Amino acid sequence: MNNPDFVRQASSFNASRRSGSSLWQALHIDPPLLIGVCLLGAFGLFVLNSATGGDQAVIQRQAIVMVVGLIVMCAVAQFNVHFFRRWAPPIYGAGVALLILVLFIGAEVNGAKSWIDFPGLPRFQPSEIMKFVVPVLLAWYLASRPLPPKFKHLFWSAVMIVIPAGLIVLQNDTGTAIMVFMSGVFVVLLAGIRWRIVFAGLFAGLLGSPAWYLFLAQAHQKNRILTFLDPYRDPTGAGYNIIQSQIAIGSGGIYGKGYGNGAQSHLDFIPESHTDFILAVLAEEFGLLGVLFLIGLYLFVLLRGFAIAYAARDLFGRLLAGSITLTFFLYVFINMAMVSGLVPVIGLPLPLISRGGTSIVTLFIGFGLLMSIQTHDRQKFP
Amino acid sequence: MTGKWQLKDHEAEKQLFTRRLAVAAVIVALLFSALIVKLLDLQVVQYEYFSARSDGNRLHSQYVPPARGLIFDSQGELLADNQPIFNLTVVKEQVEDLDSTLAFLATLIRLSDDDIAQFQNRLNRNRVPFSSVTLRYLLSEEEKARVGVNSHQLAGVAIESQFVRSYPLGSLTAHSVGYVSEINREEMNALTDAQKENYGGTYHMGKSGVERTYEALLHGIVGYEIVEKNNRGQIMRRLDRTDPVAGKNLTLHLNAKLQMAAEQALGDFRGAIVAIEPATGGILAMVSKPGFDPNLFVTGISNKDYSVLVNDVVNTPLFDRSTNPYPPASTVKPFIGLAGLQSGAIDYDFTIQDPGYFRLPGVSYRWGDYTLRTTIGGGHGETDLQKAIYQSCDTFFYDLGHRLGIDSIHGFLSQFGFGDNFALDVGYARTGVLPSRDWKRESRGEPWYPGDTINSSIGQGYMWATPLQLATATAILANRGAVVQPRILKAVDGVPFEPPNNNPKPEVFTDDSDYWRYIHEAMTMVVHRPFSNELRDYGTAFESIAMQDRAMPYLMAGKSGTAQVVGISQEILSSEDIIVSDQNRDHGLFVSFAPAMHPEIDPKISVAVFVENGEHGSSVAGPIAKQVIDTYLLDILRLDFGAADLEAAGATVTQLNE
Repeated sequence: MNNPDFVRQASSFNASRRSGSSLWQALHIDPPLLIGVCLLGAFGLFVLNSATGGDQAVIQRQAIVMVVGLIVMCAVAQFNVHFFRRWAPPIYGAGVALLILVLFIGAEVNGAKSWIDFPGLPRFQPSEIMKFVVPVLLAWYLASRPLPPKFKHLFWSAVMIVIPAGLIVLQNDTGTAIMVFMSGVFVVLLAGIRWRIVFAGLFAGLLGSPAWYLFLAQAHQKNRILTFLDPYRDPTGAGYNIIQSQIAIGSGGIYGKGYGNGAQSHLDFIPESHTDFILAVLAEEFGLLGVLFLIGLYLFVLLRGFAIAYAARDLFGRLLAGSITLTFFLYVFINMAMVSGLVPVIGLPLPLISRGGTSIVTLFIGFGLLMSIQTHDRQKFP
Repeated sequence: MTGKWQLKDHEAEKQLFTRRLAVAAVIVALLFSALIVKLLDLQVVQYEYFSARSDGNRLHSQYVPPARGLIFDSQGELLADNQPIFNLTVVKEQVEDLDSTLAFLATLIRLSDDDIAQFQNRLNRNRVPFSSVTLRYLLSEEEKARVGVNSHQLAGVAIESQFVRSYPLGSLTAHSVGYVSEINREEMNALTDAQKENYGGTYHMGKSGVERTYEALLHGIVGYEIVEKNNRGQIMRRLDRTDPVAGKNLTLHLNAKLQMAAEQALGDFRGAIVAIEPATGGILAMVSKPGFDPNLFVTGISNKDYSVLVNDVVNTPLFDRSTNPYPPASTVKPFIGLAGLQSGAIDYDFTIQDPGYFRLPGVSYRWGDYTLRTTIGGGHGETDLQKAIYQSCDTFFYDLGHRLGIDSIHGFLSQFGFGDNFALDVGYARTGVLPSRDWKRESRGEPWYPGDTINSSIGQGYMWATPLQLATATAILANRGAVVQPRILKAVDGVPFEPPNNNPKPEVFTDDSDYWRYIHEAMTMVVHRPFSNELRDYGTAFESIAMQDRAMPYLMAGKSGTAQVVGISQEILSSEDIIVSDQNRDHGLFVSFAPAMHPEIDPKISVAVFVENGEHGSSVAGPIAKQVIDTYLLDILRLDFGAADLEAAGATVTQLNE
């Protein structure tokens, strides 16, 4: 269906916007996304300062990671996203190879054998990269096929998702596996997979989950679910984190106890207060208003992501931008929901707020890809 | 490939994508809404609950133990003090591996198996989780430093300061002042809920003596403070505090100087001395020897030290001889004599012809005179009551006891506190036995035989009395019948204290008050009647007391007693072939008061001396009593007898020498 009028309007709108921000366009930077990300990062440092009791070493390291992340983001944005599209299969192959390699020579940190430690290179997690490699590959695969995707294409898409996700599960890093899995699933969902298949899948999952729980789930996974259902079954053990976290959040009230006055965090009742449970610190000190402010910042970034996905010039860009944005949302939501007791505890940090290294840089790679999609001219490519 | 491309409808695909993106945005909005609802529930609806939980997490009410009241002697000398010590404590919940931590600590400080065993005992008691338990008391400076340097390897281990009891006079006051020690499980269970609350921060409790009797006054009232603690139980801030009320300071009648003199006077003997102020009943000295170091008990006596104390079956240092009964022997004779006068059984002119033994009418058994203990044979000849007292003539009292009968003896002597505990605040003192028909029937299931009366009348047989009872009875005698009930506590926080008396005792009534003078005189002769040409006509303690100190400025009334430990016949004891074991030797006793027969100065002190296996009352116990009385009258009270009526004194002495 062709509507020349609509096309002209759209292109003239784009042209006027481009001319208004030609400098940013040339730098391949998207100012709204940059502002949103920087605000989140600054707020994160501010909260982390309180959570760590003003530990300058931690704050400085986090700030350096942020700066490195921004540089990586800008660097990624310089590449035309077509570059990634063109090289998607080899990149994916290399990623899967690294995941297999990790199973043999990987270094173990916190129970997850997911790190590669090549001499002379910074230590990194191949599984983190897969959060982008998988959607890039799927967007490459599906964008060149008629949509909604046919069953055959869905099958191969599933294979492409399950191979890396499965390998990451073998690394004992369920959280990342879920994120990699979902980043691929989002591409398929956005590509227009038929609803009946989606609902059939959800229904199958619903039916299958008791079987999973009974036959496949490991003891610690069962424990997490039981703890989620009733944290007080083991208040000083498995339920301790979530109980203390809820106490911190609840006692923050609407206005919070004030910056640096979070008794729960400063008296070390909140475990992982620098990382996964930093939301509890924020909620205790800044109250409901502080959490709403954070959600507002996230929403701003997410809406910009949606806008980039909507305005992308081709299907590849749309699918990739949509998937990256939704993956970011999933990150945010799972962390906030687990800390407040809405979902079982899954070890995922709060994006851009929690203390971290690779995971933060990975996020910036995502933002770089979004900027690349937004700023590179892809009109010549259908 | 190209065929596939041609099939693509880009506009339709874009619209499909846009719809999917819209659905995604709606789901994002819904999920954020769910999150916000959850946050509203936590932070608004349940705010009060979680706020309280948060405070409960960090705020802890803890006890502040009150300072235990101090104990002073009557002159203000400290008998029980509180000293700061440093203890090594462990919070078990914070120690990762208790065994390895203990093993590491053992390389830093002295840590015996005994310390560890006691620590395990304390751990097993009911205790609040995350509370610290003492592992070792009394860290030295060096040990404190060693633990401090290694503190990073010792999570859950801390050095805490604590005030604990200290007894500066050590064994001297071990029995009378007593000691505190850790509260044990039974004692804890015996407390009421209110008391348990008051003892929340207290680890020690009075276990004996004054410390136990006046525990309620000494302890004080517990205080509270609200502290903010972190996840590891460390105190970060103190927020609110209710100060404890310190225990009361107690002033005792006890005189440390006299106590010390009494202890020294006993020398190497085992025994006990009780001295009482006749006017008040105040216990001036109460010594049981040997004592023990009460400071050992305060911080938990080691099994080794304890077994040394317990296994010493000869010296039994833990046994309080001053409040436990022994046969009073001849020291009861003045009381029996007084009973004879009061009952009318005898008068001043009554005499017997003493053949050296006594026979009940119609009975062939002879009661010999224990006091003579001589193979010379014969008795005291013509003997009246005074001579019977100063010569301690058994035969006279056998006869008198027989005339009085046990009912009269029991009735009269019970007025002096025999067979009873007259003390107002020495509740732990034993009552001894003042035998009676009822007593024997109940305790032995046997009727009273006339022979029992004969034995009782010289303070043997079933009769048992504690040194405290003897001193009390002697004080009542010195008071001419005015009953005083012994008491140890003189003042509380400087305010004179009158112990509650639920059972006040009546005065000892006599038909003729001259009976008292008569008995006082007889007892004074015990000490001061010199040797003469007459056979056996001197005071039994003259040689050991008055003859030793010709310049004695006061008169001393006394009565010796020699209590048989085992029934060994006179011939065997006298035989030189037999070495009598120390522990089979007789006990020496002496009761005394002074100054006696003074026209102006009333008796100031009554003393009972008990010398275990001392063999002789008059020669061993007597001089000890003299030393105690000298110290009190001459060194402590510094009485000036020279200023008293010398003429009257001269007359008295003449009379005694008649």
